[in-house]
Amino acid sequence: MKNIFQLFKKDLIRFLKDKTAVMLTFLVPAVLIVIFGSIFGGGSGSRGKIPIIVVNESGVDLAAFLETEIDSSNSLRSVKNYTDENGNEIKIDHEKAKELVINGNYPAALVFPFDFFADTSSAIKFVYYYDPRNEIESQLIQGTIQKTIFSKIPSLFPLLMQREAKNFLGEALSDSFNSDIANMMSNYFGANKDSVIESITNFDIVKLTQQSDSNSVNNRQADFISNLIKFDSEQLVGAEKKNPGVTRIVGGWAIMFLLFTLSGTATSIFEEKQDGTLKRIFCMPISRSQFLWSKYIFAILLGIVQLSVLFLFAYYLYDVDIFSNFLNLMVVILASAGAAVAFGMVITAYAKSLAQASGISTLIILIMSALGGSWFPVTLFPEWMQFAAKFTLTYWSVEAFLQVLWRDASFTDIVFPYLVILIGIAILINYLALYLFKKRQVV
Amino acid sequence: MNSVEVTNLTKIFKTQVSNNITALDNVSLSIGEGIIFGLLGPNGAGKSTLMNCIIGYLNPDKGKILLKGDDTSELNLKYRLHIGYVPQEIALYQELTAIQNLKIFGSFYDLPAKVLNERISSALHLVKLEDRKSDLVKNFSGGMKRRLNIAVSILHNPEIILCDEPTVGVDPQSRNAIFDMLKELNKQGKTILYTTHYMEEAERLCNKLAIIDNGKIIAEGTLSELIALLEKRETIKIRKAPASEKMIESLKKIGEVTETDFHYEIIPNNSNSKNSELFNELEKLQLPSHLLELSSASLEDVFLMLTGRSLRD
Ligand SMILES: Nc1ncnc2c1ncn2[C@@H]1O[C@H](COP(=O)(O)OP(=O)(O)O)[C@@H](O)[C@H]1O
Ligand SMILES: [Mg+2]
Repeated sequence: MKNIFQLFKKDLIRFLKDKTAVMLTFLVPAVLIVIFGSIFGGGSGSRGKIPIIVVNESGVDLAAFLETEIDSSNSLRSVKNYTDENGNEIKIDHEKAKELVINGNYPAALVFPFDFFADTSSAIKFVYYYDPRNEIESQLIQGTIQKTIFSKIPSLFPLLMQREAKNFLGEALSDSFNSDIANMMSNYFGANKDSVIESITNFDIVKLTQQSDSNSVNNRQADFISNLIKFDSEQLVGAEKKNPGVTRIVGGWAIMFLLFTLSGTATSIFEEKQDGTLKRIFCMPISRSQFLWSKYIFAILLGIVQLSVLFLFAYYLYDVDIFSNFLNLMVVILASAGAAVAFGMVITAYAKSLAQASGISTLIILIMSALGGSWFPVTLFPEWMQFAAKFTLTYWSVEAFLQVLWRDASFTDIVFPYLVILIGIAILINYLALYLFKKRQVV
Repeated sequence: MNSVEVTNLTKIFKTQVSNNITALDNVSLSIGEGIIFGLLGPNGAGKSTLMNCIIGYLNPDKGKILLKGDDTSELNLKYRLHIGYVPQEIALYQELTAIQNLKIFGSFYDLPAKVLNERISSALHLVKLEDRKSDLVKNFSGGMKRRLNIAVSILHNPEIILCDEPTVGVDPQSRNAIFDMLKELNKQGKTILYTTHYMEEAERLCNKLAIIDNGKIIAEGTLSELIALLEKRETIKIRKAPASEKMIESLKKIGEVTETDFHYEIIPNNSNSKNSELFNELEKLQLPSHLLELSSASLEDVFLMLTGRSLRD
């Protein structure tokens, strides 16, 4: 046991001395997580916003309100001015907006025209210019605009309805229509008749913009109609988690670098063999199995530290919630590290030289990472690839991370299939590695 | 009891290509306690393979090795406490300092920290690296690395020290330092097995010698025992020059003359005749004395006689 500890210490000292190894273990994956996390992850304000020109020609409060909604959007950055040749900031008008989109300066422009919402109109009108040069981008913009406006429609609805009623029924009839509605509502729902009438006739833009008040008892009746239509979208999974994209990114890249680090640790046996230090160790009172144990322990602990550091990093940077399911996360980390070490060991046992071992492991790690979902969600793949993904260590690791970080899976949830498969892989290829080590007299 | 007793040792390397390499062919050796035993042989003779078998790094295909009477083939790590092995390669962590290397390798011998530190100090003193102990090994000269390579191997105060070509690629000063060191260790009672392909080293350092070639021990004994295998102990050479070439016919009357590129070699007619008599004859011929060379027989000649090849081939 003491020997194993001393061998472990030796590996640790040498690792810490090796600046390149330390950087490849912690810094490089962290940088990649930042890069890819920022692209896919969003949140925390760190995500880049897509620029969109917003021109408001309408003097209506509603337009101003929707404009501020878009201004404060998480994914859009509204552009209202441009700089002319003389360096003057000039407000973009309708024509200029069109021109800037045509010239490719901006991907899209949203115009609230003069007749956006005339006093009597029962519809609102936008002009939207876009350049579909980047499909994902324009879909994102349209989606965001629609979402921003749609979420306000329930509140607009009574107003639009009132106006439509006036158009069709005329002033007098529409008044009795309103009082009928109010009567009905006070009969069936016990609402105060006057306040119902007030709420449906006196459209108040201020109320619209202060939806939070609608929960208070006083306003409950008044807002009755606006509550008739409501978009209730409910996120079913990971509702308290802040960062879906990043969770996958962190798990995926972390596993890829774990594989690189740990196969590097295993193939370092070749270096020790080459420089003769391995032979020196074996003429000391140290057995070969003690040596192998020390390698395993060092590699697994290094893997645990590496994954923990990367997850901590994701926690600080992207609010990936690692603590609410911490123990299960640690279990998955341990199982993943075990499988990754075994992978490195079997390649070390199989290869004939360091160069060969590095070549084989790099190739397999890249394929497993691409196929197993380190870089892209496996669900985007064609079916045969999704099937093939299941034969990679990476797939089961990434999925297991998603289970514990995203779905808050309990221990019993992850035991099968995730842990069983990961630990199964670890044990199986370890046996293969030990068999090869012995047969080929690698150490 | 002999320190090392090797009996009928055979090691065959199975290669990818059909023909296997018999690196050791029925080798037997006895290395008595407290001597410096030299194993001399050209590159590829099997010296390192023999060392690797003795330290237990390689399993022989046949034969037995006893260290101080203990059978090493049993799975017994304890016997390794008796041996200090200096590998042919510089087996050090180059990216660490000298003292870090000593501490790491010393830590495997289960010595109390105080004892280990004392051993490290005295080893550093012995190899004269005290003032460089905190430098990175990779910045050391070849000679310094070689010396540290030895220091690392003796921390556990082993009774038997196995040195596999410890002077390869070192300057003469370091070579002398290494020799002084080994002599000092020998004086302390340690048995030393020293392999080399330099016959001068073997002659200078070793009490007892074995010559190995193609995996076989072809001669064994003290230096004088080995030299005694030769018919002639000394060769008289005359360098080729206009002055000596003129008198070739006269030389042939004194003895048998053989020619090499730059020398005539003379073997006196009467093999019992003393060198002084030969010199008198040459003086009479007025041979300029600076053209005259007397070379005594060396292990090189022994090797040449036994194998028909020279050591450095
Ligand atoms: N691991 C090995 N595999 C195959 N052949 C080897 C191996 N080690 C040594 N040999 C061969 O065994 C012979 C003896 O080598 P070695 O003991 O290193 O010689 P020396 O140390 O005297 O120079 C050489 O022919 C060498 O090529
Ligand atoms: Mg050798």
